[in-house]
Amino acid sequence: MGAEARHVVCAAAELPPGQRRVVRVAGRSIGIFNVGGRFFALHNGCPHRGGPLCEGRIGGTTLPADGHAFAYGREGRILRCAWHGWEFDITTGRALADPSVSARTYPLAVEDGNLVVTL
Amino acid sequence: MIDCDVHNTWSSADELLPYLPPAFREYLVRGELPGGRGSFPHAHRPWLHPEDFKRVDAVPPGGGAAGSDYGFMREQLLDRYAVDVAILTGEEAIEVSTLANPHYAQALARAHNDWMVAEWLPRDPRLRGSLVVAPQDPRGAADEIRRLGGHPGIAQVLVSTGAQRPYGDPFYDPIWDACAEVGLPLAAHLGGQGGVNANPTGCGPPTFFWETHALLCETGMGHVASTIAQGVFERWPAARFVLIECGVAWLPAIVWRLDADYRSLRKETPWLMRLPSEYAREHIRLTTQPLEQPRSRDALWPALEDIGAQDMLMFASDYPHWDFDEPRAVQAPAAWRSAVMDGNARALYGLDGR
Repeated sequence: MGAEARHVVCAAAELPPGQRRVVRVAGRSIGIFNVGGRFFALHNGCPHRGGPLCEGRIGGTTLPADGHAFAYGREGRILRCAWHGWEFDITTGRALADPSVSARTYPLAVEDGNLVVTL
Repeated sequence: MIDCDVHNTWSSADELLPYLPPAFREYLVRGELPGGRGSFPHAHRPWLHPEDFKRVDAVPPGGGAAGSDYGFMREQLLDRYAVDVAILTGEEAIEVSTLANPHYAQALARAHNDWMVAEWLPRDPRLRGSLVVAPQDPRGAADEIRRLGGHPGIAQVLVSTGAQRPYGDPFYDPIWDACAEVGLPLAAHLGGQGGVNANPTGCGPPTFFWETHALLCETGMGHVASTIAQGVFERWPAARFVLIECGVAWLPAIVWRLDADYRSLRKETPWLMRLPSEYAREHIRLTTQPLEQPRSRDALWPALEDIGAQDMLMFASDYPHWDFDEPRAVQAPAAWRSAVMDGNARALYGLDGR
């Protein structure tokens, strides 16, 4: 790995809450997300089979339950890989079904009104 | 060495008469029976073994059915192979699951259990019994588990793999509750492939006995998937599920598939907190017989090792049946052998250090 590099992706105003963009930065495909006003960047390659993770559906999911119950939550925080449907928490990158697996995350900051990703 | 599948039986089902309540005693004495007087009431599977399913050399010299003579069983199995503990599984008793009348079925199961406790367990400290219940009547089964499950000679609750629905289904919650209460594993032994139970294969009935027998894994697969997916091992954290005589080589394929599909569709079962493979390794046990026989002997083990089957397999002979395995049939890797032949069963059944 070379030294870390910072890249301006777009103006923060171009990514309102609930939205996502898949962008190419320094040759890498990256998904940037606005979850309730907070910004996150994930590598657009699923740790499972390399599928286009960041092009998958965004939504909520069933919360851990005690017994046969279906409580729905984490609305807007759950990204399901476009290929095989693995669920990831956008805010942490962690796979819900297997906490030992995480999607690669990148720091994404707002600087002077721009979204700046650090690779 | 622990033998986890030993078939003890009666020579005539009339031996159960003293253990049946009067209402059902009359059924056995006067009622219709599948094999005439002295046969055990059940809806027999439609695949009939063309040579009978017992070892010919296991017929006791003094007469009677193979497996009915304790002395001959001791000579031919317990002493000959230095068996420390034999888990008795009965013979036809699990077939009560095929009967439409759950009251009659449960009465027969109770009679078997009392007969086994009275007639078999006292004969040899090496013997442990299985408490047979009729799973089509989960509340009655739970009553029976609570009635007799605390007997020190009882090792497990036993049902047939043939069932109306897979054993993780909430229909069976009373059985899992009762097993948890008395601290016994639930075991399912190959059988119950007729009557009111679902077809033992998913694509319709096979034709020949050997064809059907080779598919004995199918119901086992269904029960493994069901108990894990339905969260049995979250709801009853001490629960253990034992598959007897369902084969073992298929287990890695199913466990891998369960993990893969769960990872994609976890949201369907939010009560699960771990991967299916983790539940399987901790909570599910399989007996080895009839062990698959690959052309290359060592081909069997690598996939099993991948899922931690060294913690899950338990030796069984299936004495005195036609597909019997001697202990030497299980050529497990040296590092596993003691666990598979002995240790896993001791831990599961809480056997002492004998």
